[in-house]
Amino acid sequence: MDLRAGDSWGMLACLCTVLWHLPAVPALNRTGDPGPGPSIQKTYDLTRYLEHQLRSLAGTYLNYLGPPFNEPDFNPPRLGAETLPRATVNLEVWRSLNDKLRLTQNYEAYSHLLCYLRGLNRQAATAELRRSLAHFCTSLQGLLGSIAGVMAALGYPLPQPLPGTEPIWSPGPAPSDFLQKMDDFWLLKELQTWLWRSAKDFNRLKKKMQPPAAAVTLHLEAHGF
Amino acid sequence: MDVFLPWRQPSWRVGRRRMRLPADFRWLLAAFVLLYVLNEANGQKKGSPRDLTCTTNNLQVWDCTWKAPVGTGHGTIYKVCIEDRLRSCHQIEKANIKIPALSPGDHEITINSLHDFESSLSTFILNEKNVSLIPDTPEILNLSADFSTSTLHLEWTDKGSGLPHHSHVVWEIKVMRKDSMELVELVTYNTTLNGRDVVHRWSWASDMPLECAAHHVSIRCYIDSPHFSGPKEWSNWSPVKSISWTPDSQTKVFPQDNVILVGSDITFCCLSQEKVLVAQIGSKNCPLIHLDGENVAIKIHNISVSEDSGTNVIFTTEESIYGTVIFAGYPPDVPQKLNCETHDLEKIVCSWNPGRPTALVGPRSTNYILFESFSGKYVTFKNAEVPTNESYLVSFEMIPNQEIYNFTLNAHNPLGQSESTIVVNITEKVFPHPPTSFRVKDINSKAVTLFWRLSGNFAKINLLCQIKINKANSKQELRNVTIKGLKNSSYRVAVDKLNPYTVYTFRIRCSSETYWKWSKWSSEKQHLTTEAIPSKGPDTWREWSSDGKNLIIYWKPLSINEANGKILSYNVSCSSDEETQSLSEIPDPQHKAEIRLDKNDYIISVVAKNSVGSSPPSKIASMEIPNDGLRVEQVVGMGRRILLSWHPDPNMTCDYVIKWCNSSRSEPCLMDWKKVPFNSTEAIIESDQFRPGIRYRFFLYGCRNQGYQLLRSIVGYIEELAPIVAPNFTVEDTSADSILVKWEDIPVEELRGFLRGYLFYFEKGERDTSKVRGLESGRSDIKVKNITDISQKTLRIADLQGKTSYHLVLRAYTDGGLGPEKSMFVVTKENSVGLIIAILIPVAVAVIIGVVTSILCYRKREWETVLLRHWK
Repeated sequence: MDLRAGDSWGMLACLCTVLWHLPAVPALNRTGDPGPGPSIQKTYDLTRYLEHQLRSLAGTYLNYLGPPFNEPDFNPPRLGAETLPRATVNLEVWRSLNDKLRLTQNYEAYSHLLCYLRGLNRQAATAELRRSLAHFCTSLQGLLGSIAGVMAALGYPLPQPLPGTEPIWSPGPAPSDFLQKMDDFWLLKELQTWLWRSAKDFNRLKKKMQPPAAAVTLHLEAHGF
Repeated sequence: MDVFLPWRQPSWRVGRRRMRLPADFRWLLAAFVLLYVLNEANGQKKGSPRDLTCTTNNLQVWDCTWKAPVGTGHGTIYKVCIEDRLRSCHQIEKANIKIPALSPGDHEITINSLHDFESSLSTFILNEKNVSLIPDTPEILNLSADFSTSTLHLEWTDKGSGLPHHSHVVWEIKVMRKDSMELVELVTYNTTLNGRDVVHRWSWASDMPLECAAHHVSIRCYIDSPHFSGPKEWSNWSPVKSISWTPDSQTKVFPQDNVILVGSDITFCCLSQEKVLVAQIGSKNCPLIHLDGENVAIKIHNISVSEDSGTNVIFTTEESIYGTVIFAGYPPDVPQKLNCETHDLEKIVCSWNPGRPTALVGPRSTNYILFESFSGKYVTFKNAEVPTNESYLVSFEMIPNQEIYNFTLNAHNPLGQSESTIVVNITEKVFPHPPTSFRVKDINSKAVTLFWRLSGNFAKINLLCQIKINKANSKQELRNVTIKGLKNSSYRVAVDKLNPYTVYTFRIRCSSETYWKWSKWSSEKQHLTTEAIPSKGPDTWREWSSDGKNLIIYWKPLSINEANGKILSYNVSCSSDEETQSLSEIPDPQHKAEIRLDKNDYIISVVAKNSVGSSPPSKIASMEIPNDGLRVEQVVGMGRRILLSWHPDPNMTCDYVIKWCNSSRSEPCLMDWKKVPFNSTEAIIESDQFRPGIRYRFFLYGCRNQGYQLLRSIVGYIEELAPIVAPNFTVEDTSADSILVKWEDIPVEELRGFLRGYLFYFEKGERDTSKVRGLESGRSDIKVKNITDISQKTLRIADLQGKTSYHLVLRAYTDGGLGPEKSMFVVTKENSVGLIIAILIPVAVAVIIGVVTSILCYRKREWETVLLRHWK
C-alpha cells in the first residue's frame, strides 16, 4: 500500500483534466443546457482533491498508530475489517456496471466509510489528529453530496438503507487495540482505493456525458497501487 | 522402607538389660548392637521375623511392618506382644500392625510367627526415635487461573484436625510449564497446624501469560513437630493439577492491551497453528522462544515508554499476522501545586499540575478524585487528552456554612496511584471574578460615584477593592476601599479629591479583606468631571506700544488644572484713580488686548470666565520705573534652557518678571514672559520656541510698589552655531611686500553666535592650484593669523614677495564653530631694488673673473721666460 505523499503523476493528471475540461465550464460554453457534465466534473475534481488530502492525513494517522503500521513496506493480510466496503472489483464487472449502479456503489461506499471515519475521530487521542480527521470528514461529506447531486441530475434515486440494516455496518469497537489498529489501517487503505476507483468512475461517466465530437480519450495513469 | 538410611534403622537389642548411658554414646552403642543383631538374625535366626520398621503420618498411630521368616507365606499367623506399661498382644495374619504411639523410651516387641506348627520368635526394641514421621501425600483442592493477571491460585487443606497442634508445616510447591513440565518455580510455604482442617491459598504471578502454555502445580509437605523425636521426612508429591488456556477464535497473542511500568520485563506469546516467522516489537525484531507446538514467545527486557497509541507487538506467519498492543507508562505523579480557591464563594476551584506525564492517554489516562473529608463529598476529573503543560482544574460545589475544607486529590491509573492533600479556609482564598457593569456618576466637580457588579456570594465577608485612577499627564493613582460583601449584588463607592473638568480613567478590582488574590481589572471607564470656576486669574503682562499711546495687555491661557473648565472669554479692565476702562467678553483664543491710555498709573485686571463663573482677577500695574545706565550682557544657554541669576534686591516687593523676544524683531517685541517670586535670585528660562543659533533678548524686571523696573538687559543664545556666511573682505592696498585687507561685519541673523574672532589664511598660489589644495591644517606653506579683537576690521600682511600671487582666505568663528571661508587672489607689486641687484651682480662677477684671468696669464708668461734661461 502506498500512502505516501508526492504522487506527482496524480497531481499532473488532475491538472491536465482540469485544463481539458475548461471548455466544459458553463461560463465558457454557452451552447445550451450543460446537463450533468459540470457536476460530474466537479465531483471528479473533488475526488482528486480528497486523494491528495488523504495522503497527508494517512501519513499523520499511521505515524500515530506507530511502527510497523507506518512502515512503507508494511502489507498485512486483511484481518477483520470485513464490514468495510471493498473497492476492489473484477475489471470486467466494473466495465459492465451501468451508471446508476456505479454511482450507487460509490454513494453507499462513502456513506459507510464516512461513518467509520467519524468513529476514528472519536478514538483519536490528540486534538490535532481529531481536527485533521474532522476536516477530512467534512470534505468527504462534500463528496457524498456531490455524488448525490450527480445522481439527482441523472434522475437516479439515492439508495435508502433498509429498515434495521443500518446497525450492521455501524462501526463498533474492535475486540482488541491491535485489531482496532488493523481496522483503522484498512479503513485508510480502502478509502484510498475507493477514491482512486471513484476517479476512474467519474472519468468514465464524464466521457459518456460528453458529445461524441468532443470525445477525446484522456488516459490517466494512477500510480502507487 | 528401603530408602531409609542406616542410622534410621530401628535399633533393637537382645535381652532385657538396658544400659543407662549418655545419649551420644547410646547412639554409638545402638549402631553396634544393630550390626550384631543383624549378624545374629542372618546367621542363627533365619526362620524368624526380621527388619521391623515403623512409620507414622499423624504421630498417634505407628504403622509397623516386618519381613516374614524365610519360607513362610500365606497362612502365617503372627503374635505380636508389646511391652508397654501393660503388656498387650495381638494375633494377626499380616506382617503389619498399626499400634498406638508408644510413650518415649524403649519398648520390647516380640513377634512370634506360627506357620505349619512351627514357631519362631523375634524380639525387637522399639523407640520413638526409630519411627519416621512421613505426612500423608497432600491433595490440591483447587487450582485456578486469572488469565488477565497471569496469576495461578492454589488451594489445599492441611488436614490439621488429625495432627498435633502447633506443629510447623513446610509446604513445597512446584510450578511447571509446558507439556514437558519444565520447572519454573519451586517455593516453600510455612504454616502452623491449629488442630483444625485449614484451607491454605497461595497465588503465583507468572512472568509469561498463562495462555501461552499449560501450567502444572504439585505440592508436598514436611511436618516439623517439636515433640516428636523420630526422623521427619517429606511427604510424596501430590498429584499434578494443570491449567490450560482454551483458545478462542480471535485472540492469538498474549497479553492483550496490557498496561505496564516503563522498564519492566514482559513476555509475549503467540498461539499459532503455523510456523511463526518473525516477531517484532515496534520495528525491532525479537528472538523467538519456542513453546509447545508452533507456539512461540518473546521476552522484552526494560521496555521503553510507549507512544500515544501504544507499542505494537507483531507475530508474522506465512499466512497471517497476529499482534497486540502494550502500553508502557508510569503511575501518576504526585499532583503538584495543588491549590484551591473560590471565585464566588459558591464553588471551589482546585487546580494542580499533573507532574511527570504518564504516557498513558485515552481510557488509560489518569483519573482524579477530589475528596473532601469533612463533608464526604467528591468530584472526579479525567483528562483523556495528551497532557500539556497546563494545569488541571476541577470545580467543587461549596457546602453551606462550611469554611474549612480538607481536600485529598487522589490520582490513579492502571499502574498505581498517588495523592496530595490541602486544607483551606475558603474565606481566605477568594479570587473574585472581574467586576462587571462598571459605570461612573458625578457627585460634584471633584467627586464621583463608581458602580459595579460582582457575581458571587460575599455576604459573609468584607471586600477590599482597589480603584485605579488615571488622568492625562499625571501619575497613576491607586486607592483602596473596604466594603461590606453582598450576594450577587451591585456595589458603589464615592471617589473624591478629583480635579474639576478633568478626564479620568477608572478601573476597579476586588479581593477579600483577608487578601488572597486581586480579581482581574474591570473594563475601564473614562469620565469627565464637571466644571468649577477657574481657580486663579491668568498670568498677565503688559507692554506699551511703540508710539507709547496704547497699553498692550497680554495674558496666558490658564492651565487645565487652573481653568477648571472650558474658558469661554476674558474680561480686561484698567483702573486708575480717575477712570476705569473695560474690555468685556474677549473670546478665549484671544490672549491680548490693547487699550489706549494716557500716562497715568493704571492697575490692569484680567478675569477668565468659564460656564460656571469667573476667576479671581489677575492684576498688574502699568507703571514702569526708569533705570539708566544698563549695559547689555551676554549669556549662552545649556541644552535649550538659559539660566539667569541676579543679586537679591530688598527693594523688590513683588514678583520678578523675565520677558524675552527674538532680537531681530522690532519693538515692542514679546515672545513670552515668566514670573518668579520676589525672593528668588535666579530663573531658568525654557521655551519650545527657542532655536539654536537665534539671538534672543532677555529683560529682567523687578516689581516695586506695583511698578516694574528694568533691572538687566541680556542677549543670548540657547546654543551657539557657526556663522553661515563668511565676512565680505576687500583688498584696500597692495605693495611689493604687503597687502592691506579690510572686511565687513556679519549680520546678527547670519552670525548665529557671539563673534569670537576671525581666521585669516594666506599663501602663495595661483587661482587654479590653491583651490584644489584647500586649507587643510598642517600645511607649512599656509600662514594663519587669528584675529581675536572683533573690533578690528583691517589687516596688513607684510613680508610678502613682490610680483607674487597670493591666496587670501577669511573666516569668522563663534563658540559654535568656524564659518565658511571667503577667498581672494592678490598679486603683489614688482620690487625695483631687487631687479637692479639682479642685473648688477652678474656684471660684477664677470668683471672680477676677467681681471683674475688677465693677471694669471701675465704671470704665466714671466715663469716661462725664467725656466728657459735656467735650462740653457
